[in-house]
Amino acid sequence: MAALALALAACTSSPAVEVPSAHELPDTSVPEFEAHLAGVDRPAVVNIWASWCLPCRAEAPLLAYAHDKYASEIEFVGVSVQDNRTDALAFLDEFDLDFDHFFDRDRQIPQLYGGIGTPITFFFGPNGELVRTHNGVVDERTLALNIDEILNLP
Amino acid sequence: MELTLLWATFTGVGFAWAGIRLWSERLPDRPLDRIIVAAAIGLLAGRLWAMIGQGVSPLSNPADIIIVRGGVSTGAATVGALVAYLWGVKWRPAQLDAIAPAALAGLAGWHAGCLWRGACLGTASDLPWAWAQAGSDITRHPVELYAAIGLLMAGWAVSKLGWETLTRSGVALALAGLVRLATEPMRPSLGGGPIEIYVAAIAVGVLAVLLGRRLLANST
Repeated sequence: MAALALALAACTSSPAVEVPSAHELPDTSVPEFEAHLAGVDRPAVVNIWASWCLPCRAEAPLLAYAHDKYASEIEFVGVSVQDNRTDALAFLDEFDLDFDHFFDRDRQIPQLYGGIGTPITFFFGPNGELVRTHNGVVDERTLALNIDEILNLP
Repeated sequence: MELTLLWATFTGVGFAWAGIRLWSERLPDRPLDRIIVAAAIGLLAGRLWAMIGQGVSPLSNPADIIIVRGGVSTGAATVGALVAYLWGVKWRPAQLDAIAPAALAGLAGWHAGCLWRGACLGTASDLPWAWAQAGSDITRHPVELYAAIGLLMAGWAVSKLGWETLTRSGVALALAGLVRLATEPMRPSLGGGPIEIYVAAIAVGVLAVLLGRRLLANST
């Protein structure tokens, strides 16, 4: 009974307390985003995501792991599209995606590079050229293979 | 994009069907149904285990379960499939022996399904049969096809074995682990792959064979 009471107590709503996010999510535009990528002197992985997107949730732990492993060799960038900022920040906190993220409410960035749907993962070479576009959930094999591609480009 | 996974699944089922036709001795009734159900339950177990390992609760995020590309634990999937199959045949290990070659063929088909998914390639290689992704100059091992060929050969080898209890199934499990272990260094991976699972499969397979021999010795 005590356990049941504790469980029920845990489920009852308490006054909402706004917890500040540990992440930043600045607005971006096409010129700003292109300038950001142009300032990167190494390969880059750009992930298009949204907090409402179920497949984005599925791939988020993998991206966090890949970032932890390749942070010194590859620039990881996230772009939240068609989202609201509060939910997007909560998503970043939940999955601890500790790389640069931008807020693109109007979906200008994926339109620029030509991806379809959400999520999308773009792989850029060290000279800033778009090497590969992966539409949909990126699995470990696909992510590892394309990371190997952009790391071994001449 | 997810349709390619469906085609790979159909390829696996097709190979399992062919395996059943080729090696039909002592099979239970509706063997293909049993393989498909066991594989589906194994996939579910593997997905749930992977989610928990990633810190995502399947209870609070039930819809995430269907996104299998998010990750599937090989070990949990194998155990789930074996338990589901054994439950379906009322825990008779002889039925595990009967299905082993066809199950290996089905697994080979799943790996060969990489052709539909564009997911056959592994580490870079200059071998004459290596090929590159579209738009790339880096040629690579078709590692999933190596695994498919290895698993088909394992299925054929297992079909030639005797019927001592747990011999065929034990050897099949060990060979499946061995094929995955041998191809793993060529497989693209962020974390090095679940090597310990493949080693455990080999060890459990060998132990199953020894256990079967012991049971046989005690019964005669």
